[in-house]
Amino acid sequence: MSEPVFALTDIVAGYGRAAPVLRGLSVEVPAGSVVCLVGPNGAGKSTVLRVASGLLRARSGSVRLRGEDVGAATPQQLLARGVAHVLQGHSVFRELTVAENVRLGAYTVRDEELVRRRCDAVKEVFPVVGERWHAIAGLLSGGQQKQVEFARALMLDPAVVLLDEPSMGLDPRTTATVFDQIARMRALGVAVLLVEQNARRALEMADTGCVLDLGRVHLAGPARALLEDPELGALYLGRRATPTETRSSP
Amino acid sequence: MSGTLLAQGLVLGILTGGLYALLASGLTLYFGVMKVVMVAHPAFLFLAAYATYALHTATGIDPLLTTVVTVPTFFALGVAVQRLLVARLAPESLATMSVLLTFALALLIEGGLGVVATGSYRSVTVDYASQALRLGSVALPADRLIAFGVAAVTLGGLFVVLRLTRFGRALRATISHATAARLVGIDTDRVTAIGFGIGLATAALGGAVLSLISPFFPAAHWAWIGRLMAVIVVGGLGSVQGAAVAALLLGVLEALLQVTWGATPAALLFYAFLFATLLVRPQGLFGGRLAQRF
Repeated sequence: MSEPVFALTDIVAGYGRAAPVLRGLSVEVPAGSVVCLVGPNGAGKSTVLRVASGLLRARSGSVRLRGEDVGAATPQQLLARGVAHVLQGHSVFRELTVAENVRLGAYTVRDEELVRRRCDAVKEVFPVVGERWHAIAGLLSGGQQKQVEFARALMLDPAVVLLDEPSMGLDPRTTATVFDQIARMRALGVAVLLVEQNARRALEMADTGCVLDLGRVHLAGPARALLEDPELGALYLGRRATPTETRSSP
Repeated sequence: MSGTLLAQGLVLGILTGGLYALLASGLTLYFGVMKVVMVAHPAFLFLAAYATYALHTATGIDPLLTTVVTVPTFFALGVAVQRLLVARLAPESLATMSVLLTFALALLIEGGLGVVATGSYRSVTVDYASQALRLGSVALPADRLIAFGVAAVTLGGLFVVLRLTRFGRALRATISHATAARLVGIDTDRVTAIGFGIGLATAALGGAVLSLISPFFPAAHWAWIGRLMAVIVVGGLGSVQGAAVAALLLGVLEALLQVTWGATPAALLFYAFLFATLLVRPQGLFGGRLAQRF
C-alpha cells in the first residue's frame, strides 16, 4: 500500500461531556484510493469525518495530512490544506444558484481567473452541474444536488475528500451515478474517505474497507476481501439469503 | 367616498408601506441569519430616534445627516450584542431564548431612555419635512416621501450587498446551511455578527426617519413590535423581498381602511393578516419550500 496522504491515529473523540464516541480509532487513506467506513448505526462513522475535517476536536490521538499534524486545525485551515468534507444528507445552499454554490467552494480564493478555471474543470467532471449552472440548487433532484456538493468540494483541488453517506435518500439508479462520480474523483488522484450505510455497494467500489464497531476499527482490509468474508456479511453487510434459507425461515 | 380620497389613501399607503419595509428589514435579517426573534428591534429604532434628536438639537446638524454617526455606531452595537449576548444562547433553544433576551434588552432601552430623556414626547422638526408635494389633487407629504426614499435606497443597497457581493453570498450561504458554509471556509461567526450589525444599522436609518414623521417617547416601541412582526410573518420569515412586499401590501390596505372605515379597523388589520397567515399559509407569502428557515 502507498504512503497514506491522510491518517487518523488512536483518536478518542465525543460530544460535550458525554462518553467518547470514538475510542482509539485509527484509519489511513492513501492518495488516489477510496477507503470506506462501514458499521452499525452509532458506531461513530460520521464522527470520524467530523474529526477529520476539524468540525470536532479529538480529545486525544493525532490527525496527520501528508505527515503533518493537523489535529488542532479549524475547518477553514484544513480546507486550505486540501481536506474537503461533503456532509450527510443535502447540504447545498438551497436558495442559491448552482453557480453560486460551486463558486462558494472556492470562497477562500481571491484569484478570479483561477476560480473560473476550476469551475470549468468541475463542470467537465460533473456535466449536470454545467447544464444546470443557473438553476436554483434547491430545485434540483437529490442526485443532482449531490453532484453539486461534490463539485463544490473539488473546487479547491483537494488532496482528501470526506464523503458522509452520499447515497442517503437516493434511488438505486442515482446511487449508481453517485458512486461512478466517486470513482472519477479517485481517478483524478483524490483520496476519498467514505462513510456509507449502503455498505455492500460501497465496498464493491472502494479499495479498502474498515468495519467500525463501538468507536474502534473492528476489522480492516481490502474491500473485496471484506465483502467475501461470510462472518462479516452476516454481521454487518446484511446476509444474502440462499433459496434454502428463505424456504426454512419462519 | 371620492376618488381623490381613495387616491390620497393609496399614495399615503404606498409611502407608509415603504417605511414599514425599512423598519422590518432588520427583523428579517436577524430571523434569516440567526433564527433570532429580535423583540428589541423597535426599541433600538426609538433609541436611534432619540440619538437623532440629541445630535440634531445639540449641533444643529440635519437629522438625516446624523445617520453618518448613528449608522456606524448602531452597526458596532449590533456586532457587540450578537457577540456578547446572542452568541452565548444555546443553539437548540435560540428562537425562544432570544425572545426573552431581546425582551430584556427592550425593557433596558426603554428604562434607560426614560431616565435620560424622561417620558415626555419629543419630536424633530425641520421645515422641509412639513412641506407637501402636490400631484393634481393628491398631496405627497415630504416626510413620507423622505421615508420612502430612505427605505428604497436602504433596501436596494441591502439587495445589492446580499446578491452581488462576496460577503452577501457568504451571508446567504450561512443562512442556508451554516455547517456547510463553515466547510467551504466561511467564518460563520464573523458573518453572523456582521449580519446582526447590518440589522441594527437599518434601525439607525429607520429611527432617523421615524423622528421626522411622528413625536416619540420611550415606550413608543411597544406599538411597533406586533406590527413589524406581522409584516415579516406575512412576508415569509427570513425573506427580505417577502417582507418588503408584505409591508407595501399592509401599508396600502391600512391607509385605504383608514379613509374608508376609520382608524380603529385599520389598527386591527395587521393582526387580522397575522392570524390569517398563520391559519391559511403559515410559511407566509414568500416562505415556500425554498425560504424555509426552521
